[in-house]
Amino acid sequence: MSVKILLAITQAFALTMSVAFLVYVVVIVVPYLRRKPAPVGDAGDFTWHFFVPCRDEQTVIRETIRYLRTTFRKAHVWVVDDDSEDRTARVVRMLWRRHGGYDPYLHLVPRVRPEARTGKGDALNAAYRALNDWMGPDANRDDVVVVVVDADGRPAPNCLEVCAADHLFGDPGIGAVQLDVWMSNVGTPPPSRHPVGRWFGLKLAQLQDLEFRTAIAAIQTSRGFTGTISMGGNGQFTRLTALDSIAGDAEEPWRGSLLEDFELGVHLLTAGWRTGFTPDSHVAQEGLYSLRRFLVQRTRWGQGTMQCARYLRRIWDSPHVSTLGAAEMMYYLAQPWLQLLGSLLYPIPFVLLVVSTAGDPAQMWTWFTGGAWILFVIYGSFGLLPFLVWGPIYQLKCLRSKNILRGIGLGFAYAAYIYTFYVTSWRALFRLVRGRNGWAKTRRNTEQAAGAKVALDA
Amino acid sequence: MAVASAPNAGMTKFPLVVALVAPAAAGAVVVLGERLYRELEVRLAGAILNVITTSGVYVAGDRESVYFGLSGAAPFGLRMTPECSSAFLLLPLLVVTMAMVYFRPANARRLFFSLGISALVVILMNQLRILTIVGLVHWFGTDEGYYWGHTLLGSMVSVFGGAVSLVLFVWLSTRKKAERAA
Repeated sequence: MSVKILLAITQAFALTMSVAFLVYVVVIVVPYLRRKPAPVGDAGDFTWHFFVPCRDEQTVIRETIRYLRTTFRKAHVWVVDDDSEDRTARVVRMLWRRHGGYDPYLHLVPRVRPEARTGKGDALNAAYRALNDWMGPDANRDDVVVVVVDADGRPAPNCLEVCAADHLFGDPGIGAVQLDVWMSNVGTPPPSRHPVGRWFGLKLAQLQDLEFRTAIAAIQTSRGFTGTISMGGNGQFTRLTALDSIAGDAEEPWRGSLLEDFELGVHLLTAGWRTGFTPDSHVAQEGLYSLRRFLVQRTRWGQGTMQCARYLRRIWDSPHVSTLGAAEMMYYLAQPWLQLLGSLLYPIPFVLLVVSTAGDPAQMWTWFTGGAWILFVIYGSFGLLPFLVWGPIYQLKCLRSKNILRGIGLGFAYAAYIYTFYVTSWRALFRLVRGRNGWAKTRRNTEQAAGAKVALDA
Repeated sequence: MAVASAPNAGMTKFPLVVALVAPAAAGAVVVLGERLYRELEVRLAGAILNVITTSGVYVAGDRESVYFGLSGAAPFGLRMTPECSSAFLLLPLLVVTMAMVYFRPANARRLFFSLGISALVVILMNQLRILTIVGLVHWFGTDEGYYWGHTLLGSMVSVFGGAVSLVLFVWLSTRKKAERAA
């Protein structure tokens, strides 16, 4: 096979992948922009249990518990201490014994090694079993909802009413609902000594906010049509009976992959439950300031997505998932692999260009100025536009600002932000190949990084 | 609860091995016979040009080229190179079809129908691209017309055609039949 044929084949795949992505972005933007707020329900129709998995969270857990207990007074809070090496458990106990009595709505689920520190899914399963024990075998489980919140999570005060709406948990076929995710620190620069470091950290947090509130929210909204709304790790609401239906004898509704939230959604959907997403409420969490931590986090997510490819057969075999839904989930699971393929295919024309330019610079210059520059503009636009578009959308829709220029600037920054996934996908692949499947949590902004590793193999 | 599709219905009508080997073989034929494919493409372009133009068309199949405007002052020829051909644009469609047939063999018939329609769109869009170049050469002259037709509009037609064929493929292969209650 000649080089020309190989080049033509790579060009065909690159064009198809680019066009597919362009079409996908157009398809998700339209319903996202057209969506209107939905009616809320009565939170009193349900009993709510917050699960807060904690592994060395003493810096943030106190305020989170205070927030949850004061904002949602009738909701129970279950803090899972995953054998923390700091004072997480002590902080929880102190808050439990307040004002000379005990808080009946606050529960500590202590875990001890070697069972502890084996992953977030295991920690959540421990809370699930503790809740079962606490409720007893005869309790009514139909109207009980479990809410997973990160140790730094701040669910919006209206989240229970929103999730109780008729089209969400008011519909008995809905097994789980995912809230929109916002970053809580988009206006707070990191405490760096260097102005550039402060600026960069703040921009990184803002880009995470942009990503979750626009692109991810749009993907989730469009998944409402394919019936494949997926769960996230924070602001994840699940009906207790839905958890029961997939828990099995071991009482483990959450499984062991690095993407236990996505995994939960797959199990619910293939068991016949429907899932919902609402941007009418949100959960706020801290965006990462550090590029290094961000890359580690995204490598973990990429590796988790790669691991979840094992569910393809289950998804396609399920009579509860439509062909369009299964195709959508396959496209999602293929993303890290497409990024790997793209990182190999997309540079080929540029490598050839460099080689040709080195061989005959004058001819290449004539070719370039004779019209080939238009091709660069076209393909550059295809590479940038699907990402750039979210900047102005974020500015207009989320920030309610008419500063379009800032929106365009954010769009360019978002494109650069997304291109880091080409790096993290390769890192994820290397980890997968080397069998390094364990991760510790990504450290929070408030945890001092001096001498500490960003994340460790578990 | 509504069920969109049942994986076992009709699965035996299309043996999985055959359903997988067919697109793979089609892909191999396209790659190995790409020169012949390009010749057929220029012959099709020549036939279309013969119908819609009056200034004379000549197809040099062995050089994968079509010449037009022969009776005019500036006859012009277009060569179908591998990069310009629609041949390899069929490969991604074949790969996706194979993956979807593999996971849900019951949909094989519908997938092959979708593949056929989408492939036809890809082929016709490439013909439209050629016609765009021919039209612009006719209206704006050789240099200007080819420049805009090949570089800008040609690329846009390729992208638009690719988008249309992908949307058609997804829509045809995944649209729900009449839902039935479980």
